[in-house]
Amino acid sequence: MTTVIQMLINGILLGSVYALLGVGMTMIFGIVKLTNLAHGEFIIIGAFGSTLLAQALGVDPILTLVITVPMMFIAGVLLQTVLINRVMLQGSEPALLVTFGLSIILKDAMLLLFTADARHANVPYSTATIRLPAGLHIAVLDLVVFAISLATILILTLFLRHTYMGRAIRATSDDTAAASLMGVSVRRTYGIAMGIAMATAAVAGLGVGMRWTFYPSSGGDYLLIAFGVVVIGGMGSIPGTLVAGLIFGLAQVIGGANYGMLISYILLILMLAVRPQGLFSK
Amino acid sequence: MKKLDIFGRKNANTKSITSGLKQVRVLDGMPMLIACIVIVAALYVLGAAGVLNSNTQRYLLKIFLYCTLGSMWNLMSGYTGMTSLGQQTFIGLAGYSLTVMTATYAMSYWVGFLAGTVISAIVSLILAIILFRMRGMYFAVATWVIAEALRTFFTSWKFVRQGAGMTVAARPYPSTTTIYLIALTLCIIALVVIYFLLKSKVGLGLTAMRDDADAASSVGVDIFKSKLLVFVICAIFTALAGGVFYLNKGSIYPAGGFGISWTVSIVFIVIIGGIGTMAGPVLGSIIYVILEEQLAKLPGGWTNIVLGLIAILVILFLPDGIVGTLQKKFNFEILSQKRFSKE
Amino acid sequence: MSEPILKVEGLQAKYGDFLAVESATLDVPKGKIVSVIGSNGAGKSTLMDTIAGIHKPSAGKVYFKGEDITGMPAEKIVLRGLSLVPQGSRCFVRMSVEDNLIMGSYPKHARAKMKESLDHVYQLFPVLKEKRHLLSGSLSGGQRQMVAIGRVLMADPELILFDEISLGLAPTIIKDIYARIKEINAGGTTVVLVEQDTNRAIRTSEIAHVMLKGRVVLSGPSKELGEEEIKKAYFGL
Repeated sequence: MTTVIQMLINGILLGSVYALLGVGMTMIFGIVKLTNLAHGEFIIIGAFGSTLLAQALGVDPILTLVITVPMMFIAGVLLQTVLINRVMLQGSEPALLVTFGLSIILKDAMLLLFTADARHANVPYSTATIRLPAGLHIAVLDLVVFAISLATILILTLFLRHTYMGRAIRATSDDTAAASLMGVSVRRTYGIAMGIAMATAAVAGLGVGMRWTFYPSSGGDYLLIAFGVVVIGGMGSIPGTLVAGLIFGLAQVIGGANYGMLISYILLILMLAVRPQGLFSK
Repeated sequence: MKKLDIFGRKNANTKSITSGLKQVRVLDGMPMLIACIVIVAALYVLGAAGVLNSNTQRYLLKIFLYCTLGSMWNLMSGYTGMTSLGQQTFIGLAGYSLTVMTATYAMSYWVGFLAGTVISAIVSLILAIILFRMRGMYFAVATWVIAEALRTFFTSWKFVRQGAGMTVAARPYPSTTTIYLIALTLCIIALVVIYFLLKSKVGLGLTAMRDDADAASSVGVDIFKSKLLVFVICAIFTALAGGVFYLNKGSIYPAGGFGISWTVSIVFIVIIGGIGTMAGPVLGSIIYVILEEQLAKLPGGWTNIVLGLIAILVILFLPDGIVGTLQKKFNFEILSQKRFSKE
Repeated sequence: MSEPILKVEGLQAKYGDFLAVESATLDVPKGKIVSVIGSNGAGKSTLMDTIAGIHKPSAGKVYFKGEDITGMPAEKIVLRGLSLVPQGSRCFVRMSVEDNLIMGSYPKHARAKMKESLDHVYQLFPVLKEKRHLLSGSLSGGQRQMVAIGRVLMADPELILFDEISLGLAPTIIKDIYARIKEINAGGTTVVLVEQDTNRAIRTSEIAHVMLKGRVVLSGPSKELGEEEIKKAYFGL
């Protein structure tokens, strides 16, 4: 019984990170109608940004978000407005292939810049644990990352619900022509959506860097998790993303180091085949 | 509802089906046939007679294999609208079949090819059941996920020595000339199969479906069966090319066999050459192999960065690729799949 | 007559090679209700989409309040006070009724007055206030049209184009919506009604334009146009 509860706790903690990995991708999927195959690399860029800045400045990695989040936001806006909006006029498949090209370029550029060494964002509380009754325990690090993930998703949800820009983003994802009739510039909205997606990737990167070691080539693994979360949750659905993250987290904890990923992949393929619109879309 | 472009603007410049009143010259008559035969014969004679040194043979055999892979991907994506990012599934399966047959069971490499082909055909049939329920990007990413799942599985499968990989143990090991001739033959068969497939009723139906799903159903082709046929043919030829590739390479490990790099190369070849054209992948594979060899001389791993940049620039500024752009500019088509384009 | 609020001169719009609007010329005087009638496929909707900026014209000119707005994107045209209620309402179905309406005050000039505008819309369509927290996708067709109209009113436009607002609705609801449109017009807003239902359009409007095969073939004060004349123009006899 204790092991089951412990697994559940670990699954939830892990699932929150997975949801964070997927949330930026689900936005782009739902709003820009684009599968961003470079999202994994964006996350790893965020991880490098936080890790290296924390080392250089001698601060807690969490504080580096003050720099990485705005930087990634600007990069996202530029990427969308300068490159992807243009390619999308040719159709969705060229755009898909461009993000694929971007992912390859970014991966190898990081390899050149940062070498293939394993990295990790060190925090003083990396080994601390909280003991609960009945032999249960929670790692402080996991709890911190859990809090960061939930806070990010909460802020994003509030932004989408209660601001004009957030409503414009949702309206654009519903009906682009009708949104432009309301005075929304669709191109600009896409740019901001990509900026936000990259900003969440910056936070997700921090989470990845704090919890695991990562390499310039790790992007593909996280992209597939993110994609799985998007598909299972339903594209563009943030509550769906949370539940899907949880499902993936549990699959990973149950499957262990050897079969965790394999179970996740099989889950994802079955989901794609049976209910590609996700659990939470109509 | 009228079709909107992605910015919600009803597009005034969409491609129309009725346009193209311009006379398109199709280069597929006698002269073209003779030219093809001469080139092929020259490649056979030069290879078999030992005129080419083994380095040149390696270069060329790589071109033949990439040309096979690219042409097959082009058949799927460019002609039938199934954009796969996971053809490495079949390359990996074929590579491992070859290795297991020769190393574990001490059989001939031909048995290895056969095993790889049969396994890939069966796997592709099973995958088709799942994949054909999906469209567009779902299809693309699902193919990738399947390859990744296999990579993960092979990495922890003891029978194939997990992540460490295995060595091909054909006895006697074929010479480079033999592999060259196998690769050349494979490439020619692949191109001929694609040419006749596209000219058949099946091919017409599929191109019609890519351009306009409603029009296709009026052609009276069973779309599901046609797509299945294309998918399985592509799996078989991709597997064969993968088998020959690993016979030449000599060893395989999961991250290589099932790696996404295969798709990177294939997509590059087709995009550069011209998606949806017969000659595109041929030209693309020549450019790719030359570029790859030249870029490998650079210090550090610049290869993929340069290839990726070139691909993005081509998509932006030459969306039809080199062959596609030339064809549009000078109104000709090399080996057109359109039977009636002369009318 | 004073300077018209909207002037369309020889406007042409295509889908690929298909000429949906061949050459449309019409004036809309300020403060009036103007109808554009014509059979299915006459090019009315394309004309409206082109004026509002969600379709690019291939020739001709559009002037709004004397300014050349030809080819301007929709998001800029709406800032100038010209709004379109598109065919089939096109509500944001995954957003609540209230969020749909608030989207209408997205233009900067409308944001300060958002609360008042919202009250005004709820006054005009009380049922929307009742259902303000529901997803607009769950509403009936008539209520969706109300959302679409209310959404447009939030920006306080000077001219509203209504594209086939009665399509697929029950007669009582149509009557109700038309009464509201008259109310809107009485408040000073110029109205253009696109209709297939000739009788209703003629009864409601002061000026009528008849379209046939992508051209405006007949224009005049609604009361003076004879039934026979309209029928002829409508069917191209």
